[in-house]
Amino acid sequence: MEKLHFNFDTTDAIKKPVHVGVVASGDLEVIFRPTDKQTEINIVTGSDGFHDVWENVLTRFFDRYPVKANIEINDFGSTPGVVNLRLTQALEALKDEK
Amino acid sequence: MKNSFVELHARQHALAILDDDSAREIVGPLDDMISPHLEPQNIVPESDDGVVLMKGQIDGNQAVVISIEGNFQGGGIGEVSGAKIVATLEKVLEDNQNGKTVYPVIVLDTGGVRLQEANYGLLSISEIQNAVIALKKYVPVIGVVPGRVGSFGGMSITASILSYLIATNKARIALNGPEVIEQEAGVREFDSSDKDLIWNTLGTKQREATNLVDEVVEDTVDNIKNSIINEIKTKKDAHRTENTDFYLSLLDNLDLTKKLDIKSYNELFKNVTATKHEIAPAVSGEKEGTKSRGRAWFEAITGIKNATSSVSTVLHAQKDGKEYIAIVPDADNEFPRVRDGEVGLQEGFAVANIVNTIVAEDKDKDVKRPIVLIVDVPSQAYGYQEELIGIHVALGSSAAAYAKSRQAGHPVIDFIPGDAVSGGFLAHGLQSNRMIALDDDSITIQAMSKASAARITQRTIAELEEATKHVPAMAYDIDNYEKLGALYKLVKGIGSWEATDENVAKINSIIDEAIDSLDGDRTLHFRYQTEIAKASGRKATLQVRKLVDEQW
Repeated sequence: MEKLHFNFDTTDAIKKPVHVGVVASGDLEVIFRPTDKQTEINIVTGSDGFHDVWENVLTRFFDRYPVKANIEINDFGSTPGVVNLRLTQALEALKDEK
Repeated sequence: MKNSFVELHARQHALAILDDDSAREIVGPLDDMISPHLEPQNIVPESDDGVVLMKGQIDGNQAVVISIEGNFQGGGIGEVSGAKIVATLEKVLEDNQNGKTVYPVIVLDTGGVRLQEANYGLLSISEIQNAVIALKKYVPVIGVVPGRVGSFGGMSITASILSYLIATNKARIALNGPEVIEQEAGVREFDSSDKDLIWNTLGTKQREATNLVDEVVEDTVDNIKNSIINEIKTKKDAHRTENTDFYLSLLDNLDLTKKLDIKSYNELFKNVTATKHEIAPAVSGEKEGTKSRGRAWFEAITGIKNATSSVSTVLHAQKDGKEYIAIVPDADNEFPRVRDGEVGLQEGFAVANIVNTIVAEDKDKDVKRPIVLIVDVPSQAYGYQEELIGIHVALGSSAAAYAKSRQAGHPVIDFIPGDAVSGGFLAHGLQSNRMIALDDDSITIQAMSKASAARITQRTIAELEEATKHVPAMAYDIDNYEKLGALYKLVKGIGSWEATDENVAKINSIIDEAIDSLDGDRTLHFRYQTEIAKASGRKATLQVRKLVDEQW
């Protein structure tokens, strides 16, 4: 298990918290919470040594969607594709609630 | 395309069962109620700890769905997930007692105790069972076992206690998983690589044939929901743990000289006539019984030398107005898997029979007889025929009997001079409202042997032992157990084997103090209320209970 921490400068504040996903094998859960500070991401992952991969996946995501949120991720060995899918799904869920 | 129920996750299970737009989640992922015990063991936690609580309506009726996530840590029950279930069932009970009908539905996709929080899992599961028994007086408690995991371990015992069980054919129900039986009893007892054997023995189709499941439906959301609605209308109760005469008669007719096959078992099951079984108090015998700490204390306390009984592994007797019950080893027992004192089929059903008889005898008395359990159970029995017949129902029968006796007003006190392990402890010990244990290094108190726990959690024994240093609930000794706050008293200075007259007198007075301390308490709440529990042992439990109460 490894804990990772990232910060991003983003602009689009969210108004509500949202949760998607399950900490199942090859999967992860993602929680977005509103924040007035910088976007902060705290990750607990079962797969050690993938700091740079996470950074790449997250950078790509925030380049495309500059959403501002406090984000928590619990990951049980998901691939970058699944991570991106869950993050996008969280955004979708935020849209649905509006 | 069919709309599969099995393929859904726990949260979706709950939403699928409840009427559209009626659901509201209690203590959800945003409430930060994460297990404090996983990260110290390098295990990724989940924000809901694998249990989803959802209030809402089912076909217009007030209901709560408690849904266990089988994909997170095998659906294992730990402190937080367990407390979420217990707190919810107790709120449902409160509502029903206040005249507001609320139907509880539990979706079981669970391996039972979460081995990484072992003793918390056992405590929680016993508390779940206690709440289910109390609730059944008001509403049916409905269980759904969708599969893939099924319902195993302590939660199979819980399943046996529920009013009505609905399953798909993608599920299995058993006390011990095949891998654990193979680990404990050898590949000849149960070959965990033989998938056909496993499904034919533990699969819900076979379970339905022997009344261990009430209904097996094809896997669609509509089928599951319709079965639940139908059960809410008809309120059927399987009374699965109230057939002790039937099962004891069945066991009398079992041919133990050959391996039991499924076909002949089903034949036997159909043709058994239940005859009344009375298990008379233990009497003095000529021959010395197989030595054990439990036997030594039973004989010393009751004054019965070489105690013997019609079920050689189950001893009970009255002494000074208290009823003492012990499960003991019998090296010559015809059931090979209980020769070391494990709790097997006969033990579970016999204890239930004895306790139910005590409750019936005291039914109209103002003061109910105290029941003292002498606990020295190294585990449940690990065996093929045990699983085929349904050892989880045997253990459920005794757990239910103890819970009912306590709820009827009998003080139920544990005296623990020996081991208190796993399903054995759930069946004989964990339904007591005061636990007294000896502070002796020889006592093991846990959910699974180290070898099996290592195999199931895919760790080495060394890694497992390292984990026990950080998480007291993982440990195997009584001193760490004390840190959970569940004990009424840890008695120092008396060894497990030192059942002398002087020590018996000391223990007797502590038992009497424990009974006096009850002051009408019929619950298991004492475990959360000790100083140790409040300060550290059950901190997370208490936090969960507070949150559930606030959000109800």
